[in-house]
Amino acid sequence: MAKESSVLIYGTNLAGYRAAYALCKDGHKVILLNRGRYVDEIKYQALAQLPLDFCWICGHMPQRLFKALGCLTDYYNAELLSVEGEAGNFKVKFKKKDQYVNNFACIECDKCVDVCPVEVDGRKAIVVVPEAGWENIYVVDEENCTKCGKCEEVCPTACIKVERPEETVEADVGAIVIACEFEDPTDEDLADFGAGRSPAVVRNADVAGRSLLTNFVKDSVRLPSGKVPATFAVIVTPHFNRPGVEYENYNLSVTAAYRAAKIKELMPEADVAVFLSDYRGFGKGHYRQYLKAREAGVDFVRAESVEVAPAEGVAVVKYKRGGESESREAELVVLVTGQKAPATMEKITAVTGVEPDGRGFCRLREFSSTETEVPGVFCVGECSGVKGNPETVWEGCALLPEVSEYLGEKNFKPAPPPELRNVNGEVPNVGVFICSCHGTFAERMDLDGLREDVAVLAGVGRAEVVEGCCTPPTMKATAERIKASGVNRVVLAVCTPLQKLLKYRKTVMMGGLSPLLLRLVSLREDVVDVHDDPEKMRTKALALIRSAAEAAKRASQEPLETDAFTSRALVVGGGLAGLEAAQGIAAGGFEVALVERNDHLGGNAAGLDEGQRAYLAELVKRLEENERVKVYKSASPRSAEGYAGNYAVKLDTAEGEVVERFGVVILATGAGDYKPEGFLYGDDGRVMTQRELAEKLAAGEEVTGGVVMVQCVGSRTPERPYCSRVCCAQALENALALRERGAEVTVLYRDMVTYGAEEDLYRSAQEAGVQFRRFDEDAYPTVEAGEKGLAVKLADGETLAAEAVVLSVGVVPERENNEALSAAFGLRLDADGFFDSDANAYPFEEAIKRLTKPFELATNGIYAAGLAHSPRPFEGVLLTARDAAGRAMVMLGKKKMPPPNAVFVAGVKDSLCMGCGVCVDVCPYGARVIDARKKVATVRPFLCDSCGTCVAACPNDASFLRDFTGIQSIAALDAVLA
Amino acid sequence: MSEEFRPDILGIFCRWCSYSAADLAGVSRMKMPPTTKVVRVMCSSRADPVFALGALLIGADGVLVAGCAPGDCHYKTGNYQTRRRYALVEKIFDTLGLDNRRLKLVWIPASEGAKVKRVVTAMTESLQEAGPNPTRAEMFI
Repeated sequence: MAKESSVLIYGTNLAGYRAAYALCKDGHKVILLNRGRYVDEIKYQALAQLPLDFCWICGHMPQRLFKALGCLTDYYNAELLSVEGEAGNFKVKFKKKDQYVNNFACIECDKCVDVCPVEVDGRKAIVVVPEAGWENIYVVDEENCTKCGKCEEVCPTACIKVERPEETVEADVGAIVIACEFEDPTDEDLADFGAGRSPAVVRNADVAGRSLLTNFVKDSVRLPSGKVPATFAVIVTPHFNRPGVEYENYNLSVTAAYRAAKIKELMPEADVAVFLSDYRGFGKGHYRQYLKAREAGVDFVRAESVEVAPAEGVAVVKYKRGGESESREAELVVLVTGQKAPATMEKITAVTGVEPDGRGFCRLREFSSTETEVPGVFCVGECSGVKGNPETVWEGCALLPEVSEYLGEKNFKPAPPPELRNVNGEVPNVGVFICSCHGTFAERMDLDGLREDVAVLAGVGRAEVVEGCCTPPTMKATAERIKASGVNRVVLAVCTPLQKLLKYRKTVMMGGLSPLLLRLVSLREDVVDVHDDPEKMRTKALALIRSAAEAAKRASQEPLETDAFTSRALVVGGGLAGLEAAQGIAAGGFEVALVERNDHLGGNAAGLDEGQRAYLAELVKRLEENERVKVYKSASPRSAEGYAGNYAVKLDTAEGEVVERFGVVILATGAGDYKPEGFLYGDDGRVMTQRELAEKLAAGEEVTGGVVMVQCVGSRTPERPYCSRVCCAQALENALALRERGAEVTVLYRDMVTYGAEEDLYRSAQEAGVQFRRFDEDAYPTVEAGEKGLAVKLADGETLAAEAVVLSVGVVPERENNEALSAAFGLRLDADGFFDSDANAYPFEEAIKRLTKPFELATNGIYAAGLAHSPRPFEGVLLTARDAAGRAMVMLGKKKMPPPNAVFVAGVKDSLCMGCGVCVDVCPYGARVIDARKKVATVRPFLCDSCGTCVAACPNDASFLRDFTGIQSIAALDAVLA
Repeated sequence: MSEEFRPDILGIFCRWCSYSAADLAGVSRMKMPPTTKVVRVMCSSRADPVFALGALLIGADGVLVAGCAPGDCHYKTGNYQTRRRYALVEKIFDTLGLDNRRLKLVWIPASEGAKVKRVVTAMTESLQEAGPNPTRAEMFI
């Protein structure tokens, strides 16, 4: 039986959305079961996963675009009912109930709210969702709605239906992706912290939600009494909560530090304390954020237990530190809460057969990032364990290489663009089409009067009022009117181009004209909705249209440039990450070249356990047999020319120099261990690293007597202010193995960075009798060789006798190598010398933009994976490698790459260019070069992001930006003021 | 000067942050004075000082240039270029004795619809104080 190509995604967590995006882009149809009532209801959870007050994910997840393309079918209020069949040929049944208000057809006219006769507590039965920032989404309050049907009658686009029956739908899919959302802990779960019992106790997500649209302002922490608090306590609750209630995710420690620092930034006089058991920020930049918060004067309290007693006007935080009970008053307590296991787990098990792990999350197959133990059923995001951004987002793309084997022939291809008329040589004839938004604008201002004013403008051949331009029927109608009017330039006076730009472009293209000949006026956002005086509105609208018409007149039609794209990937590094990435891409059907500087593949396998070694060996074997993969051993890239999509890379190989062409490059060059200084390391054989200890234990060597472990050797120091992440788990595993052999183990640590499953490891080590003692960052213990054994001296003067001292050394980047690669390929290094990535860049604002809309960006095409990106354990390396492979697969599927901004790229008038190179210097994207032969500047359209900096910098007016040329812009400016 | 005076302000907004913010203000239906007519550019660095000065010469009462917040420019460094340029223009204004209130450079992040309203209202008020642009009457070119 042929395999199905469609994929069902159940749930709408961030990873699920990202997976849908990747699958659509890769050419598979997707069915999305939204358990919520409206499109973004559950996506707002993202705020609880991000350490910031900014999200904008709704704006950057163009679900509307998928819908328009036809590759995504979404169902609301949906529940999965049954799954039959096997991987590749599942038959799924689910129930759904359509939205009362179809927000894809809604024009936000507010008429339904006006006519609704119900009013409970000042709210109508049809309301705009307050937390949606991106657009106004209307929902029906089912409890209070009387189903009178008045809203249905008045709706101009017929998008409301008060009767929405529940229906059962069946579908055939090749794979199922579970992407259920996480559960927030309830007030009951947080009872120890006074949640819900006092206005002085709030959750961080609430603060973030309140400051979402304004960035952080005092109002977001203002108490109901109107007072702005002066004393704050930020508590990371999973550190102190009862076991099994909630789990800490990736971001909690850094979120607490971020919140505290923000408060301090805004109110330097405020007293801010953060309560946590350990600072567990191991992501990129997390430790730096901690340092920043501390520098700002935030007090970090590492407590053993914390309770909050809400009192009148102030909350009392009672805590234990170093065995001593202390307390502290705070006017506002901010709870940074964790995640609970998904409540849908039982249902998931019943329907799909996926079993929960010990904590109630979906259990995954060993060494898989997304696949469960049931073949063909995948799980992404916080459903398979505690996650935070960026892990969730990585998983969305990491799904792609894993899911591909179950899917049949791609079944989605975007429709070819409509035929465009050539208007070159025609006298400009502008058609102005004023949207009445289904008649609603006409109620606010005199549209016909405006049309008459516009019709007499110079160069305007036609002015019409149209019904709309954003729903399929109105788009078609407007396109036909454009065609019928015979105009060759178009001005659309409509609404927000931010949400609907693509629809407007499509309308004009359906009308037979290039989108370069279109100009937009935001009639709604700039005029109708923000002003009241109809006469002044008409004047302003006329000025804006006049300006747009002047610019449109001067618009010219130019061909849409595309760039050839080499469908071939280069993977640098033959370690775990490189092998996995190469394997994923090759399995997706693309050619890969793998370059490894050593004479064998597999990288640094020391420190892996048996299962991991076997996985790696299998990977090497499969790769060497794969004919799509060309392996260069004892080779390295020397230099690279070109840009994303088209690299010519010079490789130094055993057979001499080779030049090869690639479209995508994955840098997986790994990292090294820190070589410790001091602690008698290297002078005394009894001082060793964790890895050396593990090798000794594996070789069966006896280690008895007292063993002292020192954590954070070379990590989180002033020279290397980052957490190496792997050493805490390594130390715990070794400590447990030593305890089994009867050795006494003491772990000297600063913070135990154990989150997720490692928390259990920490607990079992404590239970097994491993001693844990904290030391301060400026008081590292010292090691001296005594007569009988080693003596570890602590800062408080105490001395521990030890037979062996084990140092937990961190991961260090190969700076020199990384710098060379960074220079060759233009992928930035972070401050620590690892490769930077969009995925966990700081600040996150920028990261979010890129995370959620990553494929079109100019800088893309080069990804870092594995330890070259950041320190991470085995599974983490696999995850980043698969993410890179998934992203690469989406890119490689394309033969031609349009420039990222489709039409608006910069250009050069050769006759005016004198080749001075100023534009080359100012271009932030490296999109300009001086043509060596012609001695003029040329633009690489694929890299250009159309900012226009080069245009303003050009001394000779040779540079121009299509659609924003100087002539156009000045005419537009003149007209706006005429 | 009459109470009725409504300044004519040209807004040059960058497409990514400031125009998004203006869009958001519109979506959120924030009422503001109908004085500012916004022209969209891809990046505030495309707002050539010639645009601004030209607008003032032909009778705009004020020019409001808006870009992304520093460090948050869609084009990485575009708004720094703008800042440098406009620092220079401000100096020229001082040298020529022109009124600095007529040219304003602000940063408006995409999420701050409310800031658009605030900035537009404030600029309108300050220009009402400054009165109509005398350039047209007093300058000869």
